[in-house]
Amino acid sequence: MIEIKHLKKYFKDVKAVDDISFTVTAGQLFAFLGLNGAGKSTTINIICHALLPDSGEVYVDGLSIDHDMPAIYPKLGVVFQNSVLDPKLSVYNNLFTRAALYGLTKAQFKTNLQFLAEKLDFANLLQRPLDKLSGGQKRRIDIARALIHQPQLLILDEPTTGLDPQTRILVWDLVSELRRTRQMTVLLTTHYMEEAAEADHVVIIDNGRIVASDTPNNLKNQYANDFIKLYDYDAGLLKEITKAKLTHTVDKGVVTITFDDMTQVKQFLVTHANQIRDFEAIKGRMDNVFLNVTGKQLQGGSNG
Amino acid sequence: MGEYRKLRVLVHRNVKVYFKDKMLFFVSMITPLILVVLFLTFLGSIYRDAVTSFIPDGVNVSNRLINGFTGGWLFSSILATSCVTVAFCSNVMVNDKLNRAVHDFRITPTKRSTLGLSYFLANFLTTLLVCGTAFAVSLIYLAIVGWYLSFADIAMILLVILLNTLFGTCLASIAGLFINSQGALSAVCTLVSSMYGFISGAYMPIAQFAAPMRAVIGFLPGTYSTVLLRYYFMRGTTEALGEYLPDGAVDSLRRSFDGSIEMFGGEVPIWAMFLIIMLAVVVLLGIYLLLSYLQGRRLRPAKAPRVAKSV
Repeated sequence: MIEIKHLKKYFKDVKAVDDISFTVTAGQLFAFLGLNGAGKSTTINIICHALLPDSGEVYVDGLSIDHDMPAIYPKLGVVFQNSVLDPKLSVYNNLFTRAALYGLTKAQFKTNLQFLAEKLDFANLLQRPLDKLSGGQKRRIDIARALIHQPQLLILDEPTTGLDPQTRILVWDLVSELRRTRQMTVLLTTHYMEEAAEADHVVIIDNGRIVASDTPNNLKNQYANDFIKLYDYDAGLLKEITKAKLTHTVDKGVVTITFDDMTQVKQFLVTHANQIRDFEAIKGRMDNVFLNVTGKQLQGGSNG
Repeated sequence: MGEYRKLRVLVHRNVKVYFKDKMLFFVSMITPLILVVLFLTFLGSIYRDAVTSFIPDGVNVSNRLINGFTGGWLFSSILATSCVTVAFCSNVMVNDKLNRAVHDFRITPTKRSTLGLSYFLANFLTTLLVCGTAFAVSLIYLAIVGWYLSFADIAMILLVILLNTLFGTCLASIAGLFINSQGALSAVCTLVSSMYGFISGAYMPIAQFAAPMRAVIGFLPGTYSTVLLRYYFMRGTTEALGEYLPDGAVDSLRRSFDGSIEMFGGEVPIWAMFLIIMLAVVVLLGIYLLLSYLQGRRLRPAKAPRVAKSV
């Protein structure tokens, strides 16, 4: 669905995007993980043609952004980082205007609006001006705007930042449904680990360069450590752990030991089975992957 | 047909955005409001005294005639400035650039020319609507204080409003292409709102300016729309006053209140004033289209990917 080859975009000395290449296959949920300023939004702006690249090639559904943007636009739905809708106009007016720009008839607009209003739960907000809505309500309308013309590719630029958990679930349920029923491709930029962990493929971008790219599971296997948390154990076990020079921390009596992989975890548990009464084995997390790959701590969310 | 519907929807949206934004509406109404306040507080009585100074002692002229004259002067001032200041402050294109709504439109399959035209037309319509309302108010006001307008005067005033609005819209659209920050927008709006009243002779008749200033102002096309508005708003009252005034005093009165203007030692004829405004509109429209085209070309990507410079 998206093919990017050797894309570069420099802002004077700042290498916002520095020779990146990747492919997003149709129907995939593709996550772009990186800190602010890593180059995620620049890449998205180039795909949307809001920015011109210094060099490189970008194809959407086989069409070049250099030559075929008019044919690409109807396939694109974009949720920007900040709302770009008209704050003084009603939700209905905002969505109607945007739908008309995609050539939707009134009947098509009505059908699509009804579907989205039901799924995103904003039917009762249609006549309200956008600036009278809460942050979560506004975000739902932003997402409805991106989906109003049934795009094949949905680009979500940090869509759930600052959203309450309930709205986040609502949004992801709809995105999952559209992926399932319409094979919609989703390109997501996020710094929420739990969102990235749900993706089919994750690309970690740092200082404009791709530093890791694989499925979340493979990334975890490759870059993340696995852990054991010991809650109830023999007093002598801690001395043995220290003596064996295992990387560990102790917090309020709970010992967390870090291992390279699950084989080591298994071996430790078998060896010390009689000394341990309550424990938890934890597979490596995406924030651990990110830390090991970039050497930087990513904020926001720690699950997954 | 598709692009026409998009244009219609966009123009409707742009006009709506302007009228729904109370702050935007208020800012664009500052100049007319200042003029009304100035007129009510002191300008009205100053011009009333100035008109009566032309009338010989012992001649009794009705209050309705004097009020009709000064009222015409007030509303010609309001309309001369509003056509330009409202156009500047109601330019939705600039706001869309600043709050990035324009990015949202640019990711839709809508031609950039359609988008640009929608901003121009909406700006023209909002300005025309506001000025049209001001003109309606002026007719009501003059009907109450002293009605001396003919049907031809009203038709000609409407024509001047139309041309002046087009002139203001062209100016505002050109300026809008270069405004890229909230600070710049506020500065331009404030500057135009305060300056245009002076240079178009709305606050003070051009005839009272020093000769060098008058010469400079004579080269500004907007001046001629002010003079034309004054001419048609005050034609009826000036002719009626002529019955009471000695020979030559009517021309002197008209000149004092900018009902006519001199350039290169002679009075500029009415047709020439219309021609100047129309030429200015054509030239400004050409500049706007050229600049829009050049800006669009700058944003358009190269046909083939460029080779990266080695760093």
